Amino acid sequence: MRLILSDRDVRIFEHIPAPVEQILLEQGINPLEVIVSRNGKLLSEDTVIQASDEVRIIRIAHGG
Amino acid sequence: MPVCSLCTEPAVVYQRYINRHLCGTHFTADVELRVADTIKTRQMIVPQDRVAVALSGGKDSTALLLLLQRLLPSWEDVRLIAITIDEGIAGYREETIQSAEQLTGRLGIEHHCISFTGLFGDSLDAFLTGRETQACSICGILRKKALVVGARQAGVTKIATGHNLDDEAQSVLMNVFRGDLPRLVRNSSVDSSGKFIPRIKPLSLISEKEIATYLMLNDAWSELPECPYTRYAMRREVRSMLSGFEYKHPGTMLHLMESKKKIERYCKGSVISESLRSCLECGDPCSGDLCQVCLLRQSLDR
Ligand SMILES: [Zn+2]
Ligand SMILES: [Zn+2]
Repeated sequence: MRLILSDRDVRIFEHIPAPVEQILLEQGINPLEVIVSRNGKLLSEDTVIQASDEVRIIRIAHGG
Repeated sequence: MPVCSLCTEPAVVYQRYINRHLCGTHFTADVELRVADTIKTRQMIVPQDRVAVALSGGKDSTALLLLLQRLLPSWEDVRLIAITIDEGIAGYREETIQSAEQLTGRLGIEHHCISFTGLFGDSLDAFLTGRETQACSICGILRKKALVVGARQAGVTKIATGHNLDDEAQSVLMNVFRGDLPRLVRNSSVDSSGKFIPRIKPLSLISEKEIATYLMLNDAWSELPECPYTRYAMRREVRSMLSGFEYKHPGTMLHLMESKKKIERYCKGSVISESLRSCLECGDPCSGDLCQVCLLRQSLDR
């Protein structure tokens, strides 16, 4: 599974199938500080990710 | 794939505290309902109000303007305008101001812009040379003043800011860390003195993540730069600590807000809530001889 953290940071995640929340925690990311999408659609934290998925992680910047 | 608890669409959020999944449509409706409820129960907006949204162009104020615009038809004779403050932060403000202009243009909302250079004679960048570590407090004082000037010019009765639950909970904790009880209990949402324009925070019960999600779902999300001065700010440390706590112990932020409310109640009428005076220099309402802006000007030698 491809995990896109930014244009410059794309990781391959092997331990699948796994829920979004578990994937984030394994990357050291607090699920409250990001939103996660697959094919442009937002995912809830308990969505299970499969091997063929491409998942994008968007950091929520402070301010505004 | 998890499905919405209220319909059969795929879920986009899971609200852990009530064990509920929501689809995009139902999540959007939920946020709008909660904001409308906050405004109503705290009487933030009343008939004939002229409300100025402090619109930085960042995510929180963008969401606030969108939400208020949508809720507008449910209030009697209320008008909405937007005020943007250009502090003069190179490499950061240009993009957010552009985003603010596009948004107000698209929504057809009257938009005012006030710049630090026009009002105080120089940009924030210039004021901060050699004082970067004080960036947020200096900027905060000047921005507040600029907003009031803009609001007076526009003749509004309320100033609405995009502070969310995370911001508010961080502020409670920071005021405690600093031992600043007067600031902890200060309430600027009502004005009994007639001296200042009440400031309201309609998003104060919506979390940062919920705001980001709301924007994504409503095609209003854009990735904008983060203010370069945040790296000097204590808030940044508090933010990451507090969101760690909130994740491990859901409800922490709301509990902090409840604590603040209780302390406010106990302090009501006591000496801690200082009485309002007028600045000897400029006449603005303040708690000492001089207002924050005049004190700052003295120390900056401007
Ligand atoms: Zn639904
Ligand atoms: Zn003054």
